[in-house]
Amino acid sequence: MSKRSVDMIFQAMYSLTDLRVLLRETAPSHAFDAGQRAQAQRLLENLERQVGSLKQEMLK
Amino acid sequence: MKCGNGIEARQVDEIFINIDPIQAGGRLTADAMKAVVAYGDGYSVCDNCRKPNRLDFISKPPIAEFHKDVARWLNMDAVRTVPGARRGFQAVAQTYVKKGDPVLLTTLSHYTEFLAVEEAGGVAREIPATEQKLVTPDATAEKIEAVTKEFGRAPVLAFIDHVDYQYGNMHDVAGIAKVAHQYDVPLVYNGAYTVGILPVDGKASGADFVVGSGHKSMAAPAPSGVLAVTAEREKEVFRTTSIIGDVTKRKFGIKEPEMMGCTLMGVTLVGMMASFPHVKERVKRFDRELANHKIVMDALLSIEGTTCLSEYPRKHTMTRIDTIKSFDTVAESHKKRGYYLQSALEEKGITGVIPGATKVWKFNTYGMTTKQAEHVGRSFVEIARENGIAVKG
Repeated sequence: MSKRSVDMIFQAMYSLTDLRVLLRETAPSHAFDAGQRAQAQRLLENLERQVGSLKQEMLK
Repeated sequence: MKCGNGIEARQVDEIFINIDPIQAGGRLTADAMKAVVAYGDGYSVCDNCRKPNRLDFISKPPIAEFHKDVARWLNMDAVRTVPGARRGFQAVAQTYVKKGDPVLLTTLSHYTEFLAVEEAGGVAREIPATEQKLVTPDATAEKIEAVTKEFGRAPVLAFIDHVDYQYGNMHDVAGIAKVAHQYDVPLVYNGAYTVGILPVDGKASGADFVVGSGHKSMAAPAPSGVLAVTAEREKEVFRTTSIIGDVTKRKFGIKEPEMMGCTLMGVTLVGMMASFPHVKERVKRFDRELANHKIVMDALLSIEGTTCLSEYPRKHTMTRIDTIKSFDTVAESHKKRGYYLQSALEEKGITGVIPGATKVWKFNTYGMTTKQAEHVGRSFVEIARENGIAVKG
């Protein structure tokens, strides 16, 4: 297992943490404004990329 | 969802707007949450502990620098991190209070200040607050005179809460410190509700010691806090050990007895450190917090019979409110009795009011967005109307 896998685990958890904070900031409705929607989109795309890298690293 | 055997994952702040009076300032920042993930293991901050082997000397992660930064930020000369403000009170009391010594507290002091005095063998003497629930320099002078008459000597220490936990009122610490110093009484500034919430200048306030709470007001995990001191007091509270084992002849270097060696390790310290840059910025925006608080206050005070028991206009975001003549009138006949208010709030996505409380209770709006403050204010008004309570305007 590589250092890259470990980094990806942390980065993925950090993306999720930023999403968690977004949920806190918009509680209880979680209705996003345009800026929050863009932020959520960017974080989710990062997360997909990070999980994709993890699949490559861990399942190769 | 469980996060361990029988441990429910806590999602309070994701699902609700949390107005619990003591939880608002301790909610973690995103960076603190990330630090908690990375530093959860017990001795995680000790990987690079080198001689002289003390927590506040570790440079990786930058713990030593953090201590210096906090001291500068509070305009004090030295800082140690402590497991909660109470441990800061305890360290100071253990240093200065001997059996039978009188110690000044106030009628609004937190119980942990009393316990710190008790443990050191001191005798508590309270400065009475005014009818407006404010502790004043005049009342301080009167109490010191009375104590001096009673004990034949002045109090050895004074604990003053800048903002008290009961009403969230702001007391004239600088004026009180000036009076205390006229009698050579060192002053502990209790900043549990201010350090990390609003700007604090230790020296300008005249404090000999500034105590802050990480988990209450610095967006840090519990138990955490800071004890900051002036240069004059540093060698006293942070004195180093001198004990020697009779058989082994062991000594313990620069460990500090009042700190019991190293204090905060792992998540508590690193969480506080990770939040610190954000905390330094947020205290500059306290006016926005007060503006959001006003939105909720205005809504509450528009409900007939509701009164504010804290000083008004508000100088802090934690407030004590009296709803005996508003929400409590419904509790008598409501099928959920006093629990209806908490239940109605939760239906609107708001939590943090003590279950069953409809008479006198506290809330805190710190950290809310304006949108959330508007939702909270609107919700109180809606609940009042839904239950037949008159609303002004």
